[in-house]
Amino acid sequence: MKRILTLLIASVLWAAPFSALSTAAQEPLRLELDEGIFEPLPFAVPDFVADNGAGAEFGRKIAQVISDDLTGTGLFRQISKDAFISQITSFSSPVQFADWKAINAQALISGAVSVDDTGKLVVRFRIYDVYADQELGQGLQLVGTQDGWRRIAHKVADQVYSRITGEGGYFDSRVVFVAESGPKDNRQKRLAIMDYDGAGVKYLTDSSALVLAPRFSPTGDRVLYTSYETGFPKIYVLDVASVGRRPLESQDGTMSFAPRFAPDGRTVVFSLTKGGNTDLFRMNIDGGGTERLTVTPSIETAPSFSPDGSQIVFESDRSGSPQLYIMSASGGEARRISNGQGRYGTPVWSPRGDLIAFTKQSKGRFHIGVMRVDGSEERLLTASFLDEGPTWSPNGRVIMFTRETQGAAGRSSLYSVDITGRNLRQVTTTTGASDPAWSPLQK
Amino acid sequence: MNTGQYISGAGHLALIGWALLGGVFTAEPLPFEVTEVTAISSQEYAALIAPQHSPDAVSEVVTPQAPDPEDNPPDIAATPDATPEQVEPEAADPVTPDDAPDVAELAPLPEAEVSDAPPEIQPPSEDLAALTPDLSPRPQPRPVERVAPEPVAQPDPDVRIDDVDQSESTPDEAAETPREETDETAREEATTEIVTEADDPSDAAPSSSLRPKTRPQRRQPAEQPTETAQSNDNAVNAALAEALGENGGETQQQPIRSSGTLSQSAKTGFLRQIRGCWNVGSASTAVLNTKVTLAFSMGRDGQVNIGSIAMISFEGGSRSDADIATRIAKSALIRCQNAEGRSGYEMPADKYDQWRNVELRFNPDKMRQR
Repeated sequence: MKRILTLLIASVLWAAPFSALSTAAQEPLRLELDEGIFEPLPFAVPDFVADNGAGAEFGRKIAQVISDDLTGTGLFRQISKDAFISQITSFSSPVQFADWKAINAQALISGAVSVDDTGKLVVRFRIYDVYADQELGQGLQLVGTQDGWRRIAHKVADQVYSRITGEGGYFDSRVVFVAESGPKDNRQKRLAIMDYDGAGVKYLTDSSALVLAPRFSPTGDRVLYTSYETGFPKIYVLDVASVGRRPLESQDGTMSFAPRFAPDGRTVVFSLTKGGNTDLFRMNIDGGGTERLTVTPSIETAPSFSPDGSQIVFESDRSGSPQLYIMSASGGEARRISNGQGRYGTPVWSPRGDLIAFTKQSKGRFHIGVMRVDGSEERLLTASFLDEGPTWSPNGRVIMFTRETQGAAGRSSLYSVDITGRNLRQVTTTTGASDPAWSPLQK
Repeated sequence: MNTGQYISGAGHLALIGWALLGGVFTAEPLPFEVTEVTAISSQEYAALIAPQHSPDAVSEVVTPQAPDPEDNPPDIAATPDATPEQVEPEAADPVTPDDAPDVAELAPLPEAEVSDAPPEIQPPSEDLAALTPDLSPRPQPRPVERVAPEPVAQPDPDVRIDDVDQSESTPDEAAETPREETDETAREEATTEIVTEADDPSDAAPSSSLRPKTRPQRRQPAEQPTETAQSNDNAVNAALAEALGENGGETQQQPIRSSGTLSQSAKTGFLRQIRGCWNVGSASTAVLNTKVTLAFSMGRDGQVNIGSIAMISFEGGSRSDADIATRIAKSALIRCQNAEGRSGYEMPADKYDQWRNVELRFNPDKMRQR
């Protein structure tokens, strides 16, 4: 027995070094990479294949809108069709990944379009991760009216954006704004609505009365705005589909303005001036009691709800100059969140809830900026003679705002910028434009 | 009644009757001459008899005053002001959004049989990238589309943009081994951080200058007791790092978390080969908050076994964020192994056992802060 035990111990001792060596060989190399690059992702979107003759006219147009949507974000870069080695001639054919790798296309969008027997437009598409040699998610089929081909294209682009970036898109959305025409001292203003990219402008009001600050409801079917129709500012609510409108309840001798929907879509918060003092109030959109939220001798205006509806950020000059404050949605004590030099105004809470966009005037220049809800990490994204009135894209990634140029011939235009400060670009409109408000994604 | 009253009454009646009827008995008047005369006033008479005088000259003439414009009556016949153009709001019909398209999923396609030969990329002949010059104490990055660990100067507009910097070469017929003709290429311009419009260096000119400082006080010579040996060690380390081709400052400031006995330069070199392909430019902010660790194996030729790549852990984001972060990281691993003329990652072959299996953590914290 003793002899067996001795042999066993000896064999264990003999094998130990080899075992240790084996373990060391199998230990993986562990590293951490903390630096990369930040540049637009190159993608290819060939013209969508026409499955029948009626669909032929849509293939190129749909591909172009998708490309414009993605490129316009600044996160993607289109590869010229002239560089394509492969051509997509059939939607069901296998993809030659090597040909797309050779031109450094990291994403490929292929699709087909046809018109069915009922006259409906049928669009099918797939997204490919070229370097993984595989499809990114499953293919989708969209069916809609032929007149609605742009919406279908925007929906395809939203899918591509969402699958590649990991956040929702914003292409199938609209913007309500104030269309401006005429000289600066006699400017005609009326409400207008358009696709997010400036296409399909429609007018919602005439230019008989000054209109300001339109704001979408959470479902995008109604718009609040301020009109000087009676000579004094008064809030109206407009149904986008019927263009019907009605004034909100108000007391005689008061001025109401700067309205904003609560996330529930049933209540409205706004500024009301009475006896020379301006405070914040909230009321039910269908009428009912008006609740006073602030009681101060200063001017409180530009309220905006947090996405969960529990808090309101607003602008107040109670400290001597316009600054940003946050308070409970039911009123009460407010805490100041803007602490930099300059004047802050028009705060808007991000749909994600993490940031607040604002207008800042400092050293003779206007800026659009963002800060955390607690006022930290303030970043100025733009700088010009006059930038103001930010509004968030539905996914909280992009901010649209008004930029006005200097001088008597100055013109208002809409601009957009990524929250990183990159990709500043003008939104194409046929007239002057100001006071944009971005809708939620359309259903 | 007395007689006197009768007589008086008769006398009065007779007198009244004569007065009324007496003209009947009157004779015709005698004819007489009539002469016409004019009656004038004394002033007219004086004027008639006065001598004739010439009119006096008027020495002062009153200048007529310009009429007050407000006194003028309004020109009623004037054309009325043109009424401003008022565009009627369009009917609700066209505003109605299009019907939302119906969405249906498609069946996956059959896998393609393709030959997946990686594109051949010529190795760079020399590094054409110009680093930010050290002339300015506070260099201001320009707003460009690409953000990378190393800044790259704006390339010549005639040069083709590529992943590598390469000078132009022409065939040399006299050479023993013919040389291929290649175009000049350069990497795309890059900066090391995002520059917003508000940070535009063109607006950064100082508005005032600092007052000149007074002459500094002469410093007391510092004591240098036993640092000589340590400084020598530092110098040796620096020389070693330089000889090994390491980016000394960068490595010292941000030590890489690593394990294994592979040399530090080999590890740094491996990471440097990958980072040029790890593009988080299209990642959402949530994905940029997500760190993923991928495990994979490599062949002796430095090629990653693509089928072996797997995410073994993640932190900071949701599962879907981790999936996207993994896809981005995996794409970087695959693309960069054949980039810049490589055919597989360049690793020390004699230490293959130490890099055969790799666990690589992709940490985007620094990228997010840019």
